[in-house]
Amino acid sequence: MTARLLPITIGLATLVLAVGYAVGGGWTFSPILLAMGVLWWFGQRRNWNGLASVVLMGFVVAAAMGLWVGLPAGWMLVGVVAALSAWDLDHFARRLSSVERVEMRLALERLHLRRLISVDGLGLLLAGEALVIRYKFSFGVALFLGLVAVLGLSQLVGYLRRESD
Amino acid sequence: MTQRLVLLVGLVYGLLLLGLLTLKGGVIALAVPLVVYLGGALLYDPGKLRLSATRTLSAECVSPGKPVVVKVAITNHGSQLEELLVEDSLPTSLERVEGEARALTTLAPGETIELEYTLRGKRGSYSFGEVRVTASDALGLFRRHGRVSAAARLLILPEVQRLRPVAIRPPRTRDFPGPIPARQGGPGVNFFGVREYQLGDPLRWINWRVAARHTESLFTNEFEQERIADVGLILDARQQSDVLSPEGALFDHAIRATASLADVFLNAGNRVGLLIYGSGMERTFPGYGKVQRDRIMRALARARTGFNYALASLEYLPTRFFPARSQIVMISPLNPDDLQVLVRLRANGYQVMVISPDPIDFEAKSADFRVLAGRRRTLELATRIARAERRLLLRELQRVSIQIVDWQVTQPLDQVIRVSLGRLPQSRALGMAP
Repeated sequence: MTARLLPITIGLATLVLAVGYAVGGGWTFSPILLAMGVLWWFGQRRNWNGLASVVLMGFVVAAAMGLWVGLPAGWMLVGVVAALSAWDLDHFARRLSSVERVEMRLALERLHLRRLISVDGLGLLLAGEALVIRYKFSFGVALFLGLVAVLGLSQLVGYLRRESD
Repeated sequence: MTQRLVLLVGLVYGLLLLGLLTLKGGVIALAVPLVVYLGGALLYDPGKLRLSATRTLSAECVSPGKPVVVKVAITNHGSQLEELLVEDSLPTSLERVEGEARALTTLAPGETIELEYTLRGKRGSYSFGEVRVTASDALGLFRRHGRVSAAARLLILPEVQRLRPVAIRPPRTRDFPGPIPARQGGPGVNFFGVREYQLGDPLRWINWRVAARHTESLFTNEFEQERIADVGLILDARQQSDVLSPEGALFDHAIRATASLADVFLNAGNRVGLLIYGSGMERTFPGYGKVQRDRIMRALARARTGFNYALASLEYLPTRFFPARSQIVMISPLNPDDLQVLVRLRANGYQVMVISPDPIDFEAKSADFRVLAGRRRTLELATRIARAERRLLLRELQRVSIQIVDWQVTQPLDQVIRVSLGRLPQSRALGMAP
């Protein structure tokens, strides 16, 4: 199941971002994104370790740049969510193939996909809301909120580091 | 923290900062799916691991090369573990021939996963320790590592070669009938001597030929009694006596010889003890029968070479461990310093036999002459000198009536014992002074 879904999500992330760039007039970047998608697919088949993370980073940066230059936000958001799913499935497939014996494979895959679909759906919904709903606040408030977010995230990371072995 | 978590957190930070710098809310919105993904993983964090494990072996004591089935059952006593990786660490030098020692699964509360695999290995004592477990959330971001104890021990006994009975003649035997000539007249098979007739002697034992020469009295034949004896096996496990080669260790051959000798002496009904002299002194007190055989085999399975400054020479060999005037069989490649100790043993009244696996032959056969091509002549000369020294040492030992079996380990031990002991002059074979 995972093996079949992985190329689909890679293709979806690549196409959505490439089309988003093309629709917004950034034709020159679409082939680069397509090349990155092909490289990801090829690397996944060849079992190149670490490539998925590099391409995810590239796709997220491309989506952020696209939003900065005013490309359609929906395409960029869907592209990022699809890239995140592909990255997740890539690692899950690696975990499954790194072990000689997988007990209850179907249950394991189903559980994973259920979790992934739920976080993707919720993420898409909340991010979509964030894109649609517009609040106006001053730079100072924005800076304050940003700092709160950064500090909150730092606290979370610190907690996770303490908790982890 | 996993690398994936670091990457996600880095991306979220980057998007937040970029959004703030560019004053673009959309860029910050892109971080939302990543934050939700992080939150989803955190929500299903495996928490504290509460697992227990049990290990069962199909046999705890086997002969070499025989497969052993290992089963490890891990039960979850805590909450649902969405992804659980179970890895059993195997002792080195055990070969897994079937099954897997590693599995990935999902484990609900109260559920059990079982690993089953088959192992095979060489002689030794192997300890199984803990099972490593790694639990993570379904998205694989947060991991918790743990170790669950599932101890067990596997003994792989040494190989036993069937030997024909080895002729020994210790000065003192025990009271029970057995196969060893006791140097005492009485009921037996072999002629021992003639004594004056005593009332009650069977008529068929009367030596009429001698009686004919004496008109006044009759004489009776005496036969040599056959009894069991005390046999002390001493295995030399000093590190400096061992020779290692790509094919194995000389010590392994010594172990095999000791096991075979213990088997043959115990089968003959003798009382056998074992002393392993190496980094320490491991004693198996003298005993009879199958139980003693099992004790000796277990001690040999555990035996390994080692170094101890105090026991570097045989000086501290606890000779009183073996009954006085009994048979001692030493299995050792022999060092030049061992001569005096063995002579002293002989002088104390023990009948001593040395089974000596030839270290020079073993090392010369395993030496890679292609690597040593430039020094071939030197090597040959060194080998010749070492052989001459060894011959001299063995001759010195033979001079004090110590029976020597010079064993090139490529030869069958049974054949070598037969040839070596058969070649001895009668006086030495009987253990008498030269």
